[in-house]
Amino acid sequence: MFLLWLRVAAVFYGLASLLAIPAILGHRPQWKKICMPIAVGAWFFHLISYVEELALAHRWMPEGIHEVQSTLALLVVGIFLLIWVRYRTISFGLFALPLAFLLTLVPAIGMDRYTFSSPMIRSGWIFIHVTSLLAAYATLIFSMLASLLYLVQERRLKNKRSPGFLEWLPPLDTMDQIARTMLVLGFHCMTIGLATGSLIAQESYGAAYFTDPKIFLSFIMWGLYVVLLLVRRSTGLRGRRAVYLSSAVFIIMLSVWAANLFSSVHRFGLP
Amino acid sequence: MKILLTGLNHKTAPVELRERLAIPSEALPETTRTLLAEPGVHEALILSTCNRVELLVSHESTEPELRRFLESHFSVEDGTLASHLYHHHDMEAVRHLFRVASSLDSMVVGEPQILGQVKSAYAVSRSVGAIKSPLDKLLQQAFSAAKRVRSETEIGSSSVSIASVAVDLAKRIFGSLQGKSVLLVGAGKMSELAARHLLQNGAKSILVANRTFDRAVRLAQQFKGQAIRYDDLHARAGEADILITSTGAPQPIFRVADAQQFLHRRRNRPMFFIDIAVPRDVEPAVNRLEGVFLYDIDDLQSVAVSNLVDRSREAERAEAIIAEEAERYRKRVRSIDAAPAIVGLQASAEEMRQAELRRARARLQSLTPEQQAAVETLTRGLMNKFLHLPLLALKEAASEGDVVTLEAIRNAFHLGPESELESQITVQEAQTHVCEADCDCPDQQVIESSPLSETASAHANEAVVAGVNKGRS
Repeated sequence: MFLLWLRVAAVFYGLASLLAIPAILGHRPQWKKICMPIAVGAWFFHLISYVEELALAHRWMPEGIHEVQSTLALLVVGIFLLIWVRYRTISFGLFALPLAFLLTLVPAIGMDRYTFSSPMIRSGWIFIHVTSLLAAYATLIFSMLASLLYLVQERRLKNKRSPGFLEWLPPLDTMDQIARTMLVLGFHCMTIGLATGSLIAQESYGAAYFTDPKIFLSFIMWGLYVVLLLVRRSTGLRGRRAVYLSSAVFIIMLSVWAANLFSSVHRFGLP
Repeated sequence: MKILLTGLNHKTAPVELRERLAIPSEALPETTRTLLAEPGVHEALILSTCNRVELLVSHESTEPELRRFLESHFSVEDGTLASHLYHHHDMEAVRHLFRVASSLDSMVVGEPQILGQVKSAYAVSRSVGAIKSPLDKLLQQAFSAAKRVRSETEIGSSSVSIASVAVDLAKRIFGSLQGKSVLLVGAGKMSELAARHLLQNGAKSILVANRTFDRAVRLAQQFKGQAIRYDDLHARAGEADILITSTGAPQPIFRVADAQQFLHRRRNRPMFFIDIAVPRDVEPAVNRLEGVFLYDIDDLQSVAVSNLVDRSREAERAEAIIAEEAERYRKRVRSIDAAPAIVGLQASAEEMRQAELRRARARLQSLTPEQQAAVETLTRGLMNKFLHLPLLALKEAASEGDVVTLEAIRNAFHLGPESELESQITVQEAQTHVCEADCDCPDQQVIESSPLSETASAHANEAVVAGVNKGRS
């Protein structure tokens, strides 16, 4: 049954992605009234599917690449909905909803053939580790998006031209707040994720585990995160320079994701 | 019932004349009552704003002398108003009212106040009993048209005055203006207006600096802000999120280095400079600094003009909505016009049925009361069944405005000219019967308030309801 809910969620995500285009770019409130309930519905069905799947499997954490993707989509849309509630802007839906659709599309088609083989997947610590890191990825995606949109809006205001197709951009200060909040939230999630992961690895595999490229890049990402936060806090960094720093962390994040292919001790997606 | 709209506005009359005709809100109920008392006026509404004075009335066949009313009520010399007044009749008046309520006829197209003003005028007219069914329906339709225009177009979404453009830009930078501080440097009508707009939109505090400190103090008192000495200007400017400058200084008073210092002190929090002065008070290169946004008078003007162009584009879409809504209203009114024919047809059929029953009375006397009741039911059923299709055709022809079919049905059933039938029935009754024929009107109370003779009304209602229902079965 959970697969059916996931399929419904994927269809709703796709529908909401399409509706988001006129609702956001066309600035049509009536489309927004249709788009947002569908997005909320999609997230709700996704959550039901997720909980049901984990409950049936008697485990806490996502198993395999499809489930990880699905969890990431759930977190991305969850954060998008929180931003909508807190900042009253749906502009991020232009990116978050299609991303969620793409992330749920493959898991919705069929069951995952490749899963983690580790028996630790039933451990609560692993759940905290994986969920925290996925939440960190999701928040970083939003932080990066907000910084980029900040840059576009800043250029637009400085050029004093008002191209109609950029009317949907939220105010500068709102985007700055979103970027900052997401960054801080992501930092906490990443710290928790890495701390729990390190503890588990130390217990199970010893120090050799930390020479793995994926693990190594994860710590670099965390280090950059610290730098980014310190710089922002001390200088009130905004605009272009903030985007450069966020982009650096984002690229490292993508590298961490890609490093899965080269990782020998910490990998998923293999038969 | 006919509709007449007479008035003048900013396009047809100068302000000197408009202000002579302007009606203060406290005098509006009395003036509406006076208008209602004019010969021929059945219902009345007066819309009086700074840009227009319009009288909307419904009347019977004789057209009321609204120009004379205006001239006598406002003591204007005879003939003064003639060249400034416009008169719109029926559908023309409907379209005009819809355009006014939707702000398409306003001086600043898309401004939001006019709908509220029309609603207030409606409330006043209702409170003095000057609005009954026809105008009530017309105004409800006008409100719905205005609502559609607001929600389906972006006619009111962009700012078109310098002050509102400044507020709009500030909102694009800071989101909400709650808690933001404004520094007003120098004095000038436009800068004061911009400051007032910013404060009205939530800006927290205002600092005022002027070469003449006393002037700064006076201005600060006016805005409930704080005056600062001109010598302290550069030391305090960094406190403000929004700076409005309009001094007569021949050289810029804020240069790039100053702005950099402000930013440093503000830990790079954005600043918005609104430079209304000519020559300019802020060095243009300041806009290149990250986190600083500088708009001079030309920039603000060009945004306002561009927004105005956008509004004109949206106004075209709004006009299409108005045309649709006016057409919808026309169809509703036309369908009501078919009511006299419907009632006439029912009455004529009922008369025939009664005549036939009377003629057969002698032969039916031997029947038991039950059998007589059965005959009564049978004849009525037959009549309703027979009337069902013509009634539907009448209604359909009326809603489509198909005069030829309406006339053909009238002739076929010898219903006589429309005027004769209309005299037998009020508009309210007509609506009742049309609704009954439709069987989808929940307002059964209307039937009770019908002033038709009780028997005729009962027969007509019964006949239509039964006819339509049984015909369908």
